[in-house]
Amino acid sequence: MNQRIRHLTVAFVVLFGILFMQLSNWQVVRRDALVRDSRNNTLDRERFDSPRGRIVTADGVVIAESVEKDTGEFRWQRRYPAGDLYPHITGHYTLSFGSTQLEHLERRLLSASTPGAVEVTVRDDLQRVAQAALAGRDGSAVVVEVATGAVLAMYSNPTYDPNQVAQHSGAAAEAYLEVLNADPEKPLLANAFQERYMPGSTFKILTTTIGLETGALTTASTFPNERRWVPPNTDNPIQNYAGKTCGGDLAEVFRRSCNIPFARTAVAIGPSEFVAGVNRFGLDQTLPFDLQGAATSTFGGTAGDFDNSLALLAIHGFGQGSVQVVPLHMAMITASVANGGVMLEPRVVKRTFADDALVIPGNGTVSSPIDNIVRTTPVRQWRRTMAATTAATLTTSMEGVTQSGTAACCLQIPGVRIAAKTGTAQLNPEGEKQRSHAWITAFAPAEAPKYAVTVMLKGTSEEISAGTGGRLAGPVARQLLVAALNGAQ
Amino acid sequence: MACVFAAGAYALAYDSPRTDMSLARLPLMLTVLALWGLAHLVVRRVANGADALLLPVVAVLHGTGFVMIARLANKWADLQTVWSVVGVGAFLAVLVLVDRPLDLRRWQWTCLGAGLVLLVLPMVPGLGFTSGGARIWVSIGPINFQPGEFAKILLAVFFAAYLDERRTLIVQSEHRLWGLNLPEMRHLAPIAVAWGLSVLVMVGQRDLGSSLMFFSLFVVMLWVATEKTGYLVVGSALFLAGATAAYFLFDHVRSRVEVWLDPWSRFTDRGYQPVKALFGMANGGLWGEGLGNGQPSAIPAAHNDFIFAAIGEELGMMGAAAVLAAYVLLVGAGMRVALRAQRDFEKLLAVGLTTILAVQTFVIIGGVLRVVPLTGVTLPFMSYGGSSLVSNYVVLALLVRMSDATARELREVPSIPGVRERVAMRLAQRRETRR
Repeated sequence: MNQRIRHLTVAFVVLFGILFMQLSNWQVVRRDALVRDSRNNTLDRERFDSPRGRIVTADGVVIAESVEKDTGEFRWQRRYPAGDLYPHITGHYTLSFGSTQLEHLERRLLSASTPGAVEVTVRDDLQRVAQAALAGRDGSAVVVEVATGAVLAMYSNPTYDPNQVAQHSGAAAEAYLEVLNADPEKPLLANAFQERYMPGSTFKILTTTIGLETGALTTASTFPNERRWVPPNTDNPIQNYAGKTCGGDLAEVFRRSCNIPFARTAVAIGPSEFVAGVNRFGLDQTLPFDLQGAATSTFGGTAGDFDNSLALLAIHGFGQGSVQVVPLHMAMITASVANGGVMLEPRVVKRTFADDALVIPGNGTVSSPIDNIVRTTPVRQWRRTMAATTAATLTTSMEGVTQSGTAACCLQIPGVRIAAKTGTAQLNPEGEKQRSHAWITAFAPAEAPKYAVTVMLKGTSEEISAGTGGRLAGPVARQLLVAALNGAQ
Repeated sequence: MACVFAAGAYALAYDSPRTDMSLARLPLMLTVLALWGLAHLVVRRVANGADALLLPVVAVLHGTGFVMIARLANKWADLQTVWSVVGVGAFLAVLVLVDRPLDLRRWQWTCLGAGLVLLVLPMVPGLGFTSGGARIWVSIGPINFQPGEFAKILLAVFFAAYLDERRTLIVQSEHRLWGLNLPEMRHLAPIAVAWGLSVLVMVGQRDLGSSLMFFSLFVVMLWVATEKTGYLVVGSALFLAGATAAYFLFDHVRSRVEVWLDPWSRFTDRGYQPVKALFGMANGGLWGEGLGNGQPSAIPAAHNDFIFAAIGEELGMMGAAAVLAAYVLLVGAGMRVALRAQRDFEKLLAVGLTTILAVQTFVIIGGVLRVVPLTGVTLPFMSYGGSSLVSNYVVLALLVRMSDATARELREVPSIPGVRERVAMRLAQRRETRR
């Protein structure tokens, strides 16, 4: 009997040894991953129920604040006065479902014993124009200040109301989140920077840049007038948009957005030079943005992948195939053309303040004593995308697009020179029902650039799929540029 | 030592601004400290040959648990103090009333009957009620308790006595069936009936942790008594078959297993508690956040089934590993009682009681750490809850008593008459003198 008891003791010691190993697994080995998990932001009720600092826009509009309640278990309710206008920037602050975006990233400052405040670079007037101009259509609009990389507007549809997620009734908030999670268009994600899409012809900005810098393309290059071209390694011909015949010099093919010339240019540049070129634009690298979860634009292949498939490289040359770009990244690429080839880091936090009480928003600005400022986000260069001369050539070509090209219909403002590129990214295979994203990316004024705008409408509806980037996205970009140029700043 | 340890922990937690502990509650801690002092003195007096490790280890566990409960909420500290008094009271009562462990043998059929009645009690309409998904509670007047906690002790006593009496019969009467050596049914019948009933009842009450505990208790005792590995094999096979059947038959079992395998994607509903517990422990890291500095109240049932996660968060891996070590010491001490015991009945009873402690501890800590699927049982001596604390103190009293009896038998300490015997002697003397 004693031997059995000894065996049993050993068995129990082994079992407790397993417990010990698993304990060290959770508390030491896998600790970092667990601590970093975004759901690991447990607040005890006491800490949750304290006033938090405000988040205000650059033009002095409060977009997140704590208000006192008379009823209920908690005294303080987080409120988002603009409703569904800013959820992807402020995020939300909840007891049971964690917090996101600035509410999460700036949590130490916002919920300090003396609450601090956050000022964002976004302008409320532009953000409202973006929402109104998109008119409920799926997609996003981004306005960036060329000289600083500051995001002046960034709005995505579908959106959601953070007030509903932050309400103290856990059941109601959970029911709302369930609806959001069930939506295939993912309202909780900002498609302006947390998703990536086929860029269509807006990608020709990159192809042109790489062509000019590698010498595969010059301002004197001309392309034959043709309807079809069969690239190497395939029998399938490449066609222009809507099967048109198209050709001419660089300015003309850029203005009219012919496909074949850019397909030819991509093949002329060759796989390794082309991939090195797109990497200079930051494709396949994480966008250095100060909000959570920025997506990564991708070229959809390495140089080696394209060596035996020049046809695929040709298609990528005009933004089709598996190339995908984040709308905010496209805005930064456009801004880098405007900026003489320097691409800045995009950012949404303008300043942070130590004491919320000393911050006075209003009258189109935010004022605070200088010594109350904790941090002013510096302007930082991310990459050098092209030489200044290349940027100048591109600017001229992009002005042609609004003067007499694919955006002439819809992106003209009297007295303002605008540089732009449209894109209609065809999502359906040849012969099937037309489905496409509508893009436009632009900056103005062309001679002294101030604002870069990127508008992308998702091809989720008949209306968008039937239209082109110029006709659909052009008017949205126009309204934004008008508002930005006439605005207070 | 244990008292200093618990008092120090209490002071640490009290010092933190994040708890609502107040000076007014200090008497509670002092009461619990005094209880151990009293228990220690009584053990020295009536069981001075007992293993010197048993009571202090339990005091450390009970103290750590008590401080954690007091740190979580005052209202639980109030009640837990009451339970501590009742628990230590039960410990002393058993110690005094049970002079000779062997006497318990005579009560084996009473134990079986009472144990089964207690097991069935929660299913009696009007008495039993469901809390936390398991119908294991009984309400008599103002007192709610879990009879299963006491049934386990009674059944352990019955099994020890029954197997002690018939183990030779069981072993000798074997005949081969399907390549297996099986004893005659009539020798095994009472065991099979008791075991089957208790498992059935526990499954019926949706309390998987307890049924696992009963199962392992019986299989282990049968194995130790008969020294036949076959019982272990057959028992494990039966358990696996039962577990598989339960998985397919019961939704709540299936959902438990699914949550165990992947709590992450179920964070918004059933996975919330285990994931929060893991987050808490990860936040604690190696050294912990310090008593009173963590947020263990974010874990549902942190004072009860999940108290180990709260310990892990605030005392870190070091503290949690120390608690594990304390349980290993306790189980080791229990097994030493069994090894040293001179009579088979005491050996079996000590093994049974220690197995209860070890399996219960493993099942709940393993559940919290995701080693096994989570089942709702309490952590012995640490979790909040009266039934569990009282019944585990009874287990401790029996172990202390048996350890003392062995020491006397081995002449390590002089064999003095027990309290009850002395009372009986005195009464007899008085009768003599009256005559």
